Amino acid sequence: MGDFFDIFFNFQFMADHFDVVFQGFLVTLKLSAVGGALALVWGLILAVLRQVPGKWLAPVRWLVIAYIDCLRGLPLLLVIMLLYSGLATLATQGLIPRDIGIPQWFGQPDPFWYGVMALTLTYGAYMAEVYRAGIEAVPRGQTEAARSLGMSHGQAMRFIIVPQAVRKVIPPLLNDFIALMKDTALVSVIGLVEAVQAGRDLYSEFYNPSGFTLGAFMFLIVTIPLARFVDRLIKNQNEKFQRGLP
Amino acid sequence: MSQTVEMPEVARGETILRVHNLKKSYDKLEVLRDIDLDIKKGEVICVLGPSGSGKSTMLRCLNLLELPTGGTIELKGDVVFEGDKPKNLDDLRRETGMVFQSFNLFPNMTAKGNVSIAQIRVRGRKKDDADQRSIDELTKVGLAEKVDEYPDRLSGGQQQRVAIARALAMDPEIMLFDEVTSALDPELVKGVLDVMRELADSGMTMICVTHEIGFAREVADRVIFMDGGYIVEQGPPAEVLGDPKEERTQKFLGLVLDH
Repeated sequence: MGDFFDIFFNFQFMADHFDVVFQGFLVTLKLSAVGGALALVWGLILAVLRQVPGKWLAPVRWLVIAYIDCLRGLPLLLVIMLLYSGLATLATQGLIPRDIGIPQWFGQPDPFWYGVMALTLTYGAYMAEVYRAGIEAVPRGQTEAARSLGMSHGQAMRFIIVPQAVRKVIPPLLNDFIALMKDTALVSVIGLVEAVQAGRDLYSEFYNPSGFTLGAFMFLIVTIPLARFVDRLIKNQNEKFQRGLP
Repeated sequence: MSQTVEMPEVARGETILRVHNLKKSYDKLEVLRDIDLDIKKGEVICVLGPSGSGKSTMLRCLNLLELPTGGTIELKGDVVFEGDKPKNLDDLRRETGMVFQSFNLFPNMTAKGNVSIAQIRVRGRKKDDADQRSIDELTKVGLAEKVDEYPDRLSGGQQQRVAIARALAMDPEIMLFDEVTSALDPELVKGVLDVMRELADSGMTMICVTHEIGFAREVADRVIFMDGGYIVEQGPPAEVLGDPKEERTQKFLGLVLDH
């Protein structure tokens, strides 16, 4: 039993290398925050574009649907690799500006930004579907009332439908955010040292996996309360629904 | 949004809305067949008919919530719809207010917010002006005390009166009422009908799809009876309700009044 603790819960080891893992976890948090925020916005844009009315804009709708289908059907790891290798190659061959091909904006290294892009593109597609479900769950009468008051499709979406839809889908969006946060670990494959890679570095150096355990603790400290919070939101919404309120 | 064109004023008693040959079908199912209708300014029209007769569809075609599949709609002499295309959808919607059976208030806004939002976003009124107007309109429908309440704190009848105030605040030329009391508990119907009665007295042009025969008899200038997508019979309430010529009207009224 002592061995087990030495291997997985070596508190001395954790204390000695806390800073390495913690710095990595800060990168995880930063990546989650930036990627998550952009995915939330991108997802909403996609969802709204998917619903643009009219014959002439049909290609826009098809394009968005194809995009969402593709990105939901691809492994995030592949998207990360493709962006990283693709953009870097384009930049070194002078086909796109170096600042865009190898982004190092705001003092963050380029793997961070490839990670942000991949998470935004992929999770934007997931979240677009969540928003769509929310938009479709707003009763048709709301659109009719808005249109009958003279609002255009865009105004009805912006002032009436989307605000109600977003409220309905906050819990599933937060669930997606939790998933996104866990998936940031994948960005380690292109050389970003986040919480998981920090544990891996420690393991290679000291042959002790307690760094992973420490990283796991840090994840759980954030994800479990978030998940609980989501549960509570859902419960509140259900109660409201059961009281028969719209 | 199209350029706002000043619409000509129409004097009371002159034709404000002219519907010619209006058709609506869903695939093979014809819901409206050759509807012809002239509506005069200040006129109050009640549309009766069994369910499935096309009366709600006709009303919804009048402000193009449903696109007709044929015919023309002229508003104040301007063609706003022809063939199968809206020509001037914004003009038409701006001039018509609509009240729905299921109220369709915006649940995330107070009564005042409901009445103000389109004034601000569509009419371009300043928020303070819009809010003042909203309070005025809500006061007129007897809801001065409720301006800051959310719809879920209001009874069905109160919600429906907010919906009426919301439409009126847009200064419509014509008000369309789509079975606005059908979803209400019996004791709440009167409050809504009273508001509509006052509105009719104030000279508003109104088209009401309704099952309230009493209201039609008392308030309408003209009653239209529809069945099978046609206007079967129309005329003053005393004629259509008191002495219907058509068998289908007689049958319907027999069924409705016999209980």
